[in-house]
Amino acid sequence: MTAPRGRPDSGSAGHIFSENLMPREPNAVDFWRGFALITIFVDHVPGIIYARYTLGNFSITDAADLFVFLAGWSLRLMADGGGRQRPTRDMVMRLFGRAFEIYTAQILITMLAIAILAASAILLHNPLLLQWHNAAAVFADPVQTNIGLVLLTHQLGYFNILPLYVVLMMMAPAYAALDRYAPALVLPVSLAIYLFVLAFRITLPSWPESNSWFFNPFAWQLIFILGFVLAKPNRGIGAWTRRYIVPLRIIGFPLAVSGVLMQLLHWWPDPTTVPDPKLFFLANKTYATPIRLLVFLGMVAVFSLAFRYIRMLTDVPVLRPPSKGLIWLLSLLGRNSLYVFCVGSLLSLLAQVARYVYHGSVGSDSAVVVIGIAVMAYIAWLAESRNRSGPATQGSPPRS
Amino acid sequence: MTAALLAAPAHAQNPPPPAAGPTNLPSPYSPACRGGAAAIAGVTPLPNVAAALKRGKTLRILTMGAAAGRIGQRGDYGELIENVLEGALKGTDVTMINRGVSGELADDAVLRMQDEVGLEMPDLVLWQVGTNDALAYVPAEEFAATVENQIDWLKAHKVDVVLVGLQFAPEMLRDAHYRKIRDILRKVASRENVIVIRFYEAMEILNKAAKSGGAVPAQFERSEAGYSCLAQYVAHAITLGIFAKNVPKRPPTR
Repeated sequence: MTAPRGRPDSGSAGHIFSENLMPREPNAVDFWRGFALITIFVDHVPGIIYARYTLGNFSITDAADLFVFLAGWSLRLMADGGGRQRPTRDMVMRLFGRAFEIYTAQILITMLAIAILAASAILLHNPLLLQWHNAAAVFADPVQTNIGLVLLTHQLGYFNILPLYVVLMMMAPAYAALDRYAPALVLPVSLAIYLFVLAFRITLPSWPESNSWFFNPFAWQLIFILGFVLAKPNRGIGAWTRRYIVPLRIIGFPLAVSGVLMQLLHWWPDPTTVPDPKLFFLANKTYATPIRLLVFLGMVAVFSLAFRYIRMLTDVPVLRPPSKGLIWLLSLLGRNSLYVFCVGSLLSLLAQVARYVYHGSVGSDSAVVVIGIAVMAYIAWLAESRNRSGPATQGSPPRS
Repeated sequence: MTAALLAAPAHAQNPPPPAAGPTNLPSPYSPACRGGAAAIAGVTPLPNVAAALKRGKTLRILTMGAAAGRIGQRGDYGELIENVLEGALKGTDVTMINRGVSGELADDAVLRMQDEVGLEMPDLVLWQVGTNDALAYVPAEEFAATVENQIDWLKAHKVDVVLVGLQFAPEMLRDAHYRKIRDILRKVASRENVIVIRFYEAMEILNKAAKSGGAVPAQFERSEAGYSCLAQYVAHAITLGIFAKNVPKRPPTR
């Protein structure tokens, strides 16, 4: 993954806006984050035709890994302050503030999702919709379930990525502080937690329902931290990977291909026969297990070249408009990813209701995707327009 | 009440002789759910569950699929099943492991379920399946193939399975695809010789009872009552599956 390249006057690739309030230049991180956001939007409409063609159908990893990895990458930009290093206390407060911002976004979209389900049930005269996506408990047992929603221990189906992100951002200040005073320890600490959690299958429980989190934050923090350490260009493993990126791509290629073959040819290890600790040998999403993680890192190494080539397409006259449009669109989405993610989550739910009403067809599915992406782009554009017309956002953290 | 419909034998089209159930179950259902115990006749044996009970008086049940979760004040659907089963199978330690993901399609549950089987080593998988696929308009044949392959995988890995069918809403009666998924699930269960709990019919009965002045007028009270009954039907079907005789038996696979 190549580092984002901001305008020289932006002072940092981490700032969405340069001092003249123009959005930062399209870069690989924003581009791929936009890609992840669109993929998640499509994947969260179960049954939609286009979900058969997203990353998760061709590899054992999917857009969630990419989203979390790039969130870690953004953490680097926030923690380092875009070249203007802030006092540790300020940095810690800023990161906690970001965690709170994501938390409020999660609460807001959860409430809106519940309202969408309730309104759909009323308008369509179908109480079954009230039981969709883990919402039944909200209506049937509100006393405990509302507490669970606030504590993030009760999550609606397909609204479970932001709770993971909240916990990761709650961990972020500790990792960022460690990175300042003992940077060599960041990855070993993260890896140790990961291995411990996988070995003993430690996870966060759901409540009031007796279940567990779909995304185990203690396991997924390794992907987050890998993004964080790899984003550091001049020291540690980040510098090392840049120095040896060619051999890493050579190693990464067969890893990425093996992930594709596993998915397409169903080369899954038999979970009943693998040795203990079993999670070390399974391709499990909840725990972001090593097999999955290695394939993902292989893909990152291989695809770190891709954006450069996509940008080169803009030099080919006939391909210039579509490639420029694609880069503009995905970068726009990626620059405003929290807004886009929230809107995308709600659009996914609305799309599910629409598919239920219109019975899902190529036509309605195509409309869902086109309208969904258009609305997400409009929201992103609106967010940037607001910033352009408002006071300068100098020093504002990158959206992640 | 025709709770007869609720725990349908897998081979419903050719009903087997009545099963000899455990003698200490005079009334396995609460009054609201009672009425069809005699019809839980052609219950498919659960050889792996029976073998597990013989080995150590413990029973591990993995619940997968569209999670019923917490329905009302009575608590968790899984807890209800655990309580009923422990009451019926005296001295047995029942462990319910809930890994249901609400909104998940059958196809998305496949690998997760296999992982959970490897990790949790259950004796029985209780799979509530079909509702999400029906609402998402997954082609019925594709859905059937997914469920069938997964049942085969479970059998090959020495795990019994009980299917829980689609949820009920009166409006869904008009939905041809919903009915198609419901019917094809029964056919799959029949072909595979596994128990399917007809949750749709259970709720339909409760709904009719409510309309005719029953004591459960509100939607969620009906849901709560429905899941409470469902827990009883599941528990009783499992109990009968353990003790089932005079039905075509699969040999224990471990």
